[in-house]
Amino acid sequence: MKVFFTLLMAGVLVLMLEGALATILPPPWCPDLRLLAVICIGLRWQGLAPGLALAYLLGSSADVLSGSLMGLHALLSMLTFLSAVFAGRQLNLKGLFPLMAFAASVSFFYGLALYAVSIFFVSGIQFVPQWLWENLLHSLVNGLFAPLVFEALTRLAVWAGADDSSERALFLETSRGPM
Amino acid sequence: MFGFLKRMSAPIVLGALILLALASIVSDRSGLRRSDLPWWQGVLLEVTVPVQKAVAIPAGAVGRFWRSYLDLVDLKADNDDLRATLLELEEANLQLREALVSSGHLEQIVEMRDGFEVPMLPAAVVGLDVSPFFHSVLVDRGSEHGILAGNPVITHAGVVGVVTRTSDHAAKTMLVLDRQSAVDGVVQRSRTRGIVYGRGTGEPEFAFEARRGDVEVGDLLLTSGLGGVYPKGLKLGEVTALSDPGGGLIQVATVTPAVDFGRLEQVFIMMRRGPGMSLLYETGEFIEPPRSQAENRDEDETAALAGNEGGL
Repeated sequence: MKVFFTLLMAGVLVLMLEGALATILPPPWCPDLRLLAVICIGLRWQGLAPGLALAYLLGSSADVLSGSLMGLHALLSMLTFLSAVFAGRQLNLKGLFPLMAFAASVSFFYGLALYAVSIFFVSGIQFVPQWLWENLLHSLVNGLFAPLVFEALTRLAVWAGADDSSERALFLETSRGPM
Repeated sequence: MFGFLKRMSAPIVLGALILLALASIVSDRSGLRRSDLPWWQGVLLEVTVPVQKAVAIPAGAVGRFWRSYLDLVDLKADNDDLRATLLELEEANLQLREALVSSGHLEQIVEMRDGFEVPMLPAAVVGLDVSPFFHSVLVDRGSEHGILAGNPVITHAGVVGVVTRTSDHAAKTMLVLDRQSAVDGVVQRSRTRGIVYGRGTGEPEFAFEARRGDVEVGDLLLTSGLGGVYPKGLKLGEVTALSDPGGGLIQVATVTPAVDFGRLEQVFIMMRRGPGMSLLYETGEFIEPPRSQAENRDEDETAALAGNEGGL
């Protein structure tokens, strides 16, 4: 439980800082730290229900601080979490490059899904090719920041007692190997 | 039983949360919207403003320092250009005032301006949208300062956007760049009317009727005042490119916004909500702005377009 709330608080705090940092480092250059946190939790966390709840809450917080429809980021964050859980089981994501590539790919598809769901619910949204390029750029930036975020989140989870709690399945594997 | 529930906890949680998310999306798109956010979202916004302010101050200082350096590079040339422009404008201003005084219209214009005066509240931009797909900003004024969802937001340069949600001390503002934004605009030179749509990029587009439209590169776009959100005559931007209409009915022009959204720090919130926004949001008092005869005459003709402004 302590790990859950620590990660939730950290995620929300990161979200707030992200909004302020975007004033000097505008998108697509500003990494989506919240999304990276959701991917990290999906890869490392094996408790499915609490992980889903965490992804939902972080997504809802993003909805509040963003101009999106309420519930949009929440929905897609859960799907991102699930995709990370299943990819973590099927793919070998050990090492720096696979992790960065995976984070970048998930970010790219997250952007596409955001667009797809938006046009489904909001009429008149048009496709602008320039946006695809920006989405790709943003995904690459996310990929570059992924190892840092994963490392920071892992350390935070350990600090919150991840090994001793019921969520001990929060495997702490980084580029340096299992901790 | 307990074992079954434990086994099924993940699918149950997933199903419940997906339903909750979909319900949130649908309720956000349909029916009347609340101006104020629900309590937990309001609390999040309230906490976010001081945190973002604390970060934005040093971050803004660094940004300003860098921009100041860049500005210095071209300072001399800019200064010369500005001096020349100022002389031309002073001359033009003098001639216009002369013409107005001689025709006796100056006093009437002053009276009309007083009638249209809208109180404005300055606000600081403390954060940008956390999602690159959307374009909104968070400002440090909220419902306790009298801000309502639907209040237009401007700067000295032109239109910024419209307030979409408020908490006690914060307000979310959708920018005109956002994909969900649509503003009724008019070309200053030819009075061609159309809609300025946000495209999610730095440049919105102006869609107008190809056959009757008279739009050229360099034309200035203003708000028409007919959309029910923004008052008439606010600067929207400048036409920078025109598409080939082909055989189509609608022609599209690319617009460079009047406001530099990359440097948005201080904005003014107009304490007046248009009729379109009062229909959309359920709370708050609607104050009908004074209308000119021309606006009343045009209203019937443009009822269909009027419904589009603000958000799609």
